[in-house]
Amino acid sequence: MSDLPPPSTEEIRRRQRSRALLMGLLLAAFVILVYAITIAKMSVNR
Amino acid sequence: MNSVTATADTAYPADWRDFFALTKPRVMSLVVFTALCGLLAAPAPIHPVLGFTAILCIALGAGAAAALNMWYEADLDSKMARTAGRPIPAGRMDRQSALHFGVGLAFFSVILMELATNRIAASILATSILFYVLVYTVWLKRRTPQNIVIGGAAGAFPPVIGWAAATGDVTLLPILLFMLVFLWTPPHFWALSLFVRSDYAAAGVPMLPVVAGAKTTRRHILLYTVPMIAAAIAPWPLGLAGFVYGAAASALSLGFAVLAVQVLLNRATEPAGMKPEKRLFAYSILYLFGVFGALVADRWLVG
Repeated sequence: MSDLPPPSTEEIRRRQRSRALLMGLLLAAFVILVYAITIAKMSVNR
Repeated sequence: MNSVTATADTAYPADWRDFFALTKPRVMSLVVFTALCGLLAAPAPIHPVLGFTAILCIALGAGAAAALNMWYEADLDSKMARTAGRPIPAGRMDRQSALHFGVGLAFFSVILMELATNRIAASILATSILFYVLVYTVWLKRRTPQNIVIGGAAGAFPPVIGWAAATGDVTLLPILLFMLVFLWTPPHFWALSLFVRSDYAAAGVPMLPVVAGAKTTRRHILLYTVPMIAAAIAPWPLGLAGFVYGAAASALSLGFAVLAVQVLLNRATEPAGMKPEKRLFAYSILYLFGVFGALVADRWLVG
């Protein structure tokens, strides 16, 4: 493994940024989904 | 299993695309489709948001099971050309990330299913994930040539979960849909394993063609095709589905039977001569889409 290039900090940061962005979007989608489920369950049980 | 070690790329955090690849998105399409058909064929209407959430949970549960399968089988995957490019054997992700992702996704999907629909659907979803990971992947796959028969049950759960999400119970029709997918899985995978036999042999997986030979496998394909067709057509004479479904299921099943007989009559031992097996494999996917699609069409178009 010694002949392999060391990991680039720039690439590590880029991947962390893209994962953090996606996680943020998924969390936002989850919040909207839970809200929609709550409204749907209230309308079903009415 | 620990023979798969980190390579240069695992020095980087895995890309989100690799996490997505862990969920086997192509397999998921069939899971989502059969689950959606189970949900739409159910006699009780479900609120669209809750229906969407149920299908999402089934897809996430299938993705979790696939990720845990890839976590456990990284050593096998690295030995087969078909699977060597997956995130862990290719060195783009470490095994622990796959394990955490799979377990987290499994819990998330089951809890969300319980919150959005009902406990029956959530319980069957949890059972299907545990069945695929523990019974199929960990216990049977490396030990018996019948691995695919029992493992097929895991893939047969989605239409039952879809039905249970809508109705809150399980009746004869979803059980017949379960039987159909359960009996469909062996001919589908054995057709594939006949023409990728060398891959499985190299990895030491005891698939039927590896341990019992092509002739026995071809006989078994036809052997499972007969009860599979019975399960496919049964909803019609039992009055659980109408003429549209009955006619479509009968016609599609006839095509399956013809191809299964062609496979039985084939004597080829090399992949180049296995056109009937390749045709049956491709047709089997179309078959399942067709039969389930006909069930929904029968329910919604004819009533």
